[in-house]
Amino acid sequence: MLEVKNLTKIYDDGTVALKNISFTVEDGEFLIIIGLSGSGKSTLLRCVNRLIDPTEGDIIWDGVNLAKLEGEELRKARRQIGMIFQHFNLVRRSSVMTNVLSGRLGYSPTFQTMMHQFKKSDREKAWQALERLGIEDQAFKRADELSGGQQQRVGIARALMQDPELILADEPVASLDPVLAHSILTYLERLNQEDEMTIVCSLHYLDLVQRYSTRVLGLREGEIVYRGTREEIRAMTDEEFQEIYGEQAQRVTGGLEGNLDEFGLGE
Amino acid sequence: MNHRKKPEQEERKPSLVPPYLAGLLSLVVPGLGQFLARTYRRGAILLGSFISLVGLMIWRIQLAGKRVEGALEIIQKAYRLRPILIVLTVLMVIFYLWIAYDAYLMAKRTKGTPLGLIFMVLIIFFIMGWQIGDINPVALVTDLDEAAGPLSEVLWPWERAVTYPEEEIVATMPIQVPCTESAPPDVPDYGEGEPRLEAEPRCGQLSEQGGETGTKITLHGENYLPGKTVNILWEDPIGNEFRARQGGEYVKVVPDENGEFTIDIILPYRLLPPSATEPFYIWDLKARQVTSLGAAQASKELKLAIEKIIETIFIGMMATFFGVIIALPVSFLAARNLMSANKFTLIIYYIARGIMNIVRSIEPLIWAVIALIVVGLGPFAGIIALTIHSIAALGKLYSEAIESIDPGPIEAVQATGANWAQTIMYGVVPQIIPPFVSFTIYRWDINIRMSTIIGMVGGGGIGFLLIQWMRLLDYKAAGIAIWFITITVAILDYVSAEIRERFV
Repeated sequence: MLEVKNLTKIYDDGTVALKNISFTVEDGEFLIIIGLSGSGKSTLLRCVNRLIDPTEGDIIWDGVNLAKLEGEELRKARRQIGMIFQHFNLVRRSSVMTNVLSGRLGYSPTFQTMMHQFKKSDREKAWQALERLGIEDQAFKRADELSGGQQQRVGIARALMQDPELILADEPVASLDPVLAHSILTYLERLNQEDEMTIVCSLHYLDLVQRYSTRVLGLREGEIVYRGTREEIRAMTDEEFQEIYGEQAQRVTGGLEGNLDEFGLGE
Repeated sequence: MNHRKKPEQEERKPSLVPPYLAGLLSLVVPGLGQFLARTYRRGAILLGSFISLVGLMIWRIQLAGKRVEGALEIIQKAYRLRPILIVLTVLMVIFYLWIAYDAYLMAKRTKGTPLGLIFMVLIIFFIMGWQIGDINPVALVTDLDEAAGPLSEVLWPWERAVTYPEEEIVATMPIQVPCTESAPPDVPDYGEGEPRLEAEPRCGQLSEQGGETGTKITLHGENYLPGKTVNILWEDPIGNEFRARQGGEYVKVVPDENGEFTIDIILPYRLLPPSATEPFYIWDLKARQVTSLGAAQASKELKLAIEKIIETIFIGMMATFFGVIIALPVSFLAARNLMSANKFTLIIYYIARGIMNIVRSIEPLIWAVIALIVVGLGPFAGIIALTIHSIAALGKLYSEAIESIDPGPIEAVQATGANWAQTIMYGVVPQIIPPFVSFTIYRWDINIRMSTIIGMVGGGGIGFLLIQWMRLLDYKAAGIAIWFITITVAILDYVSAEIRERFV
């Protein structure tokens, strides 16, 4: 269970990114955070794995306060938390394999990894992850030779290498077209349902939110302005969505949902 | 933005003086009218341009009218020698009047900013530049044929790259000077098949200056190579050798198909020193044929050029090596994203950047001259000069590469629980290696190109040879050096481009 209590983040330049935020995520949930750019979604996600240090507040994960961790303990905690990024954040000039293996760094001795040596079991694990995401034939290509959708799958594979219990996904489909967006979210859904990983994901589009979330948080200017269950969000109209979200909210494509079989993505 | 605001401002603030006064004032001090019309920048530009142009005019007229007295004479001479100065003077007068008219317009607050005057400033400066630069396209075309000779030698210098071993065919015949009672020397015993030389008579009188000509000797040679010139030489009793000269020409003879020749030689004029008290002296008469035989060999120049081009390549290589080693740590100090943590590191950043910018703006040739003072002539000075410049240039390029790395992958690697070293190895290094390699090879390329000329100031390498041969007007040898430089640079250019393409 992830418990965020009174989380506040004020940047050095005085920008208040998060204002006293509290919420809980039960194990096995698929929590989606919605909000405009600049509403604090990314800051919130990055506070959880401490890529950004929160100014105040507690983040309790499995009984440990992540907000107070330092050094070795923080790194051990980070291993349990996979992260997926909007721009994939792959090392573009490294091979897909190297990128995926880098997900294992937290578990590997420093000296060996300096020599680019990984355990045999880690390599096998990497192959399994690549197979699972259907990109095993791309393993030795350079990351930047792959298409956007494939790169994001490499990003997921890298996160899987961590054996995570929690996955943070920072707008994982914002750089992708609608078909790929569904494809990537379907993978996340499988991780959520089959592997029972907890997922905290920020998104832009109402129909994706309706399709994948089990619970929704709405964020505006660093404050939670909406909390909804799966049922509530499914019943929501575009107008209501825009009300919490602001004018710019939009659907990906009308009618795409329900036709997923055509793209070979339905189940 | 600026363009729109200007007329408004001018409307808001009226001119301090009426238009005609502004014009008159600009006749007294060009630009003053514009100042008082509150078009300050325009006034400053016009005043500055006018003063500098007048200064330049005075300088050029004095230069052209050298060595005459009186201002009027100087100007007359200058105009006669350099008619372009007349054009410039006329333009300056027009310019001067136009400034006054412009001041009138400015004070009158007409809309817009007339650009004609500024255009005129540019034209006058251009013509001035033409005059100062001594630009002469006619000479470029008409004198081109004068360059043809040296140029063709430079373009195809390879005759100079080989030499053939030379063999001398020489025979000596002693001649007694003057004739006395004692018998003149015998014809020496030449070996069978050796070149031989006989003279008749074998004694005689030297020529006198302005007086009697010396004894004529008939010289007969055998066993020489047919068809190749034979030079006739004298060796006087104290061993000085000189070529025989008759009627102002050196004496030469070409043997017939049997290798024989016959020629008349007049004994030369020589001043006898007072110490010459012997009754007679023996002079040697020589007939010498020089032939090139055997296979071609690399000439001295070719060998030197090869030695020096190797030296050149290594100067460039060592400079790059030292440059990289020092630039690597320096570049981290000059990367803003790494150094903006606090004020102290930021100060270091500015210092590092500042020093690098200054060092980089000084040419390697100047660094070489400075290094020469310290370590003396030779390749080490060149290496020092190029190293200094490489540190600054590479430091800048490296630090910019560091500044432009994508923070995304670093974040992602950190998020996996990697430690600091792992983050650097997996998030930073893969991003900076390709640009670093690319810049290093590029710099190596530049350094070798620079090292070819660093020798011109004495910094070692082939540049030294080149400048030396050029000054000796040995265009063929210089051509060899130029060819070597060109080939080396071209190969390197290709190789470096190829490697960089592979890497990035």
